[in-house]
Amino acid sequence: MRAKTLLLATLILAGCAAAPNSANSPTEPPRLKAALEAESDGAKRYGRGDYAAAARRFDEAARTYASIDDTPGTVRNRLHQARSELAQGHAEAALLTLESAERGSDAGPALDTLLLKAQAQMALDRQAAAQQNLATASGQCAGACPQAASLHLLQARVALAANRAPDALVQAEAALKLLQGKDEAAEIGNAWRLIAAARLAGGDAGGALPAAQAALEIDRRLALPEKIARDWLLIGDIRRKVMRSGIHSDGADDTAAAYRRALDVANAAGLVDLARLATRALAAGNEVPPGRKP
Amino acid sequence: MSLLIQHDSDAAALRRGTRRFLFVATLAMLALIAAIVVRQGVFRQTTSYSFVTDSAQDIAKGQAVRIAGFRVGAVSNVSLKDDGQVVVIMEIDADHMRFVTHDARVELRKEGLVGSPTLEIVPGPDKTRLAAAQARLRFSRAEGLGALANQVRDEFVPILKDIKVITGVLADPQKGLPGTLAQVRASSEALNTLLANSNRQVNGIGGAATRVLGKAEEDLSQLGQTLAAANARLPGLIDRTQQVLDHVEKITAEAEISVPPALREGGAAAADVREIVSGARQAWPIRNFVNAPAPAKLKLDSDLRGEAGRAR
Repeated sequence: MRAKTLLLATLILAGCAAAPNSANSPTEPPRLKAALEAESDGAKRYGRGDYAAAARRFDEAARTYASIDDTPGTVRNRLHQARSELAQGHAEAALLTLESAERGSDAGPALDTLLLKAQAQMALDRQAAAQQNLATASGQCAGACPQAASLHLLQARVALAANRAPDALVQAEAALKLLQGKDEAAEIGNAWRLIAAARLAGGDAGGALPAAQAALEIDRRLALPEKIARDWLLIGDIRRKVMRSGIHSDGADDTAAAYRRALDVANAAGLVDLARLATRALAAGNEVPPGRKP
Repeated sequence: MSLLIQHDSDAAALRRGTRRFLFVATLAMLALIAAIVVRQGVFRQTTSYSFVTDSAQDIAKGQAVRIAGFRVGAVSNVSLKDDGQVVVIMEIDADHMRFVTHDARVELRKEGLVGSPTLEIVPGPDKTRLAAAQARLRFSRAEGLGALANQVRDEFVPILKDIKVITGVLADPQKGLPGTLAQVRASSEALNTLLANSNRQVNGIGGAATRVLGKAEEDLSQLGQTLAAANARLPGLIDRTQQVLDHVEKITAEAEISVPPALREGGAAAADVREIVSGARQAWPIRNFVNAPAPAKLKLDSDLRGEAGRAR
């Protein structure tokens, strides 16, 4: 009861405090306000990891913006929606949404659109198309755009997929350098993960482990289960390689433990693909599962 | 003399007429007899077939023999052999011999279930060879009403036994219907009790919700009055904004300590508060004081779940 009274009092006082500002600012039209609220709600849900609901809210916001002929708002929310769909693993749907955003935009494809398209195409194993989009994005960015670090990271992923580990390492390290001192924890985690994967692919398993652990620490802080599971899988792969190289001959338990952690996290978060990967890695014992890229 | 001559000529004419009549009548009689004989099939060419059966029941001399429902002959003889078997000989029109295959069988059928019995020759599957004259065909009786009744009885007797067992089980006071009904009754009583308890609890919750809503309404009306006064004294309020904000900060700091434990008391209280806040935000005149949020900006993430763990 006391809590309710306190909350009401807080509300009243907040209303009083806000009154002068509101009186001075122009009132938003109802549709624009509804669009902004849907967008804000979508962003909150995205932040909480409820990507399906976030995608719905962004779609709603984009439609509302479109109904008031607000092209920038429509395109922005379509990009948010595509990002939410990508986060759910719906790469095909994300590509369709991005095409819709491109159609709605008066100018050519924006840098954000190109980067998201490249992500979706990588998810669908269309490496050539992804590389082409990244080349276009690179031309637009010219090394000085706010998305430069993300561009480097995506180029690192393309390089890694093409078995060009040294290139991947250079790109990931460049991204990490650009991200220093910025409030982009997720991207920093991504950079560490790519550095770890590139080092592992390049045969530097000893150097890969601290990088993977740095990525895990950041992803744990951000509470991103999908990335935590992937970090554990990567750590398992690194430990296995270390064990095989003879640096630690008794690392079998550690390797299995890492894979088990990956499996537990994936199961708890309902990540079927990752759980399957972890199960396969556990079952494979000393064999490296085929088709799994670091 | 002339009279005698006249009498003789009349008698001769009468005799001629009588002879003509007798001749014509004989011819007509012979034609009639010939027609009857032809109609009876005396001159028709027939072939005889036979079959053996255990009983001559429903089989009689002259009984029709059919193929595909057409009468093609008749039973010419029914005789009892020394071994107690019955030999039945049929005469079939030679025209219809082509339907009697070597594997044909004779079936005693009844028109409907209780109609007159007829013998039906059913050709076999092998149409390449016909039965030889005087061949012995296989014989079977179609199932009549008695056989059907027996079949129905055979089907029904086990069902009746099952029903008897089931009714016995159902009648069992412990495990049967009375016991089940007693359990259902006990369960329904328990359910009633549960529902009554639930109703009491829901009433309690409803009462609490009503009180909260009443309080909220009261508070909102007070808020309305306060805001009216605030609008009237807006210039003064602008001057006092800083002081109010200080108060808000203090109260918020207190609320940070006291509100979370209170919220943890139950989902219901949280839902009430959320409802009140949501309602208050949408209610006039508060909605005029709530600004629309700024356009959202999501954090950069170049490694979303797009690859679903395939590459990491």
